Amino acid sequence: MMSQSAPKFSSTGTQATRIVGVLTIVVMTWVVISGLVFTPADVVQGESVRIMYVHVPSAWIAYLAFIVTAIASAFYIFAKRHSLGFDRVAGASAEVGVMFMVITLVTGSLWGRLTWGEFWQWDPRLTTTAFLLVTYIGYLAVRRLDGSIEQRARRSAVIALLAVLEIPLVHFSVVFWRSLHQRATILDPNGDVKMDGLMLFTLFSGVVGFTLVFVWLILHRQRTMLLSDLANQSGLDAAILARQNESVSN
Amino acid sequence: MDLTPRPESQAPKRRRWMPIIILSLVGVGGVVIVTQFLSSAIDYYCNVDEVGVRSGCDTTNRLRVQGTVEQGSLAKLNNTTNFTLVFNGKSLDVKYSGDPGGVFQECVSVVAHGRLVNGKLESNRIEVKHSNEYEAKNKDRLEESGSAACSQVQG
Repeated sequence: MMSQSAPKFSSTGTQATRIVGVLTIVVMTWVVISGLVFTPADVVQGESVRIMYVHVPSAWIAYLAFIVTAIASAFYIFAKRHSLGFDRVAGASAEVGVMFMVITLVTGSLWGRLTWGEFWQWDPRLTTTAFLLVTYIGYLAVRRLDGSIEQRARRSAVIALLAVLEIPLVHFSVVFWRSLHQRATILDPNGDVKMDGLMLFTLFSGVVGFTLVFVWLILHRQRTMLLSDLANQSGLDAAILARQNESVSN
Repeated sequence: MDLTPRPESQAPKRRRWMPIIILSLVGVGGVVIVTQFLSSAIDYYCNVDEVGVRSGCDTTNRLRVQGTVEQGSLAKLNNTTNFTLVFNGKSLDVKYSGDPGGVFQECVSVVAHGRLVNGKLESNRIEVKHSNEYEAKNKDRLEESGSAACSQVQG
């Protein structure tokens, strides 16, 4: 079993996380004010367009989180020194990604009710997104299976490398198939972005703000995972020591 | 007995390229299946010009038909909404039981669910299909944007 050194920190916060935290508050405050007050209503959707400033950034950050999970998993598997730090980053990123994916689906459902007239339809985009969410919930479940920390890291890394292949399927589902969901506006293949200037700026601000939230959460979460792994490890070491003492005394 | 560790070159090497090849094959296989074999099975709707023509858009089945609500065709009578869907030069009359409500209006793309009866779609569900364009609500530009949407989608 790979030994782990004791942590050099007494809390999960550092100077870096505090700076990221303050930046997050500043940017998100701007997004909320601009999204609710400054940006105009849409000519067709009316006020419900404001849901976009949460829905789109949360979807992008969910993608980003799952890609980070795959990259960290690849580093764990393919690097010569199988550092468990990569595994913890992968796990933390997947947890945060699932949270953002849930936000995406909830806000999307609210927008769908106001625009389409339905909370949910099994169209290609919604179905593949739901499938992606279920896959990563499964990934998190696998991480909680019995076994050593190394077994957890190996199993989940393989799943992460396969699961990330779903992301292009979700993103391009509106291109491959006819979907009720509209096609991409910002990542339009023709590069023709048809969005009001302030709406676009607020949307990008939302992406920056949500990215900062993502980074802040990952930094804290992977450290709590390290503490949790060390606690489990010390419990196991204590149990082995107790059994050894018993055998000696007998 | 010699207990010195064996040189690294003698240790069995793990084939690290195998997972990469397997992942690549899975990826390529997935792309082929998605782009070549699943299109007609997963498409959410038929366009107006495909009704009775395209596989899966048979007139005997319950249909989801996509088109633009033709300008000037919308008429509400008692508890019924009548309008014409147009797409790619073809049109289809729709009779909807009730008021679609929401952002339903002329010149927007909709998906109407229903059955064809005497060449008219009797619908019990209307979904407004929003485009990927976002434009500020502005009285001066409202009329212009509406007519632009009609001319764009009707093709």
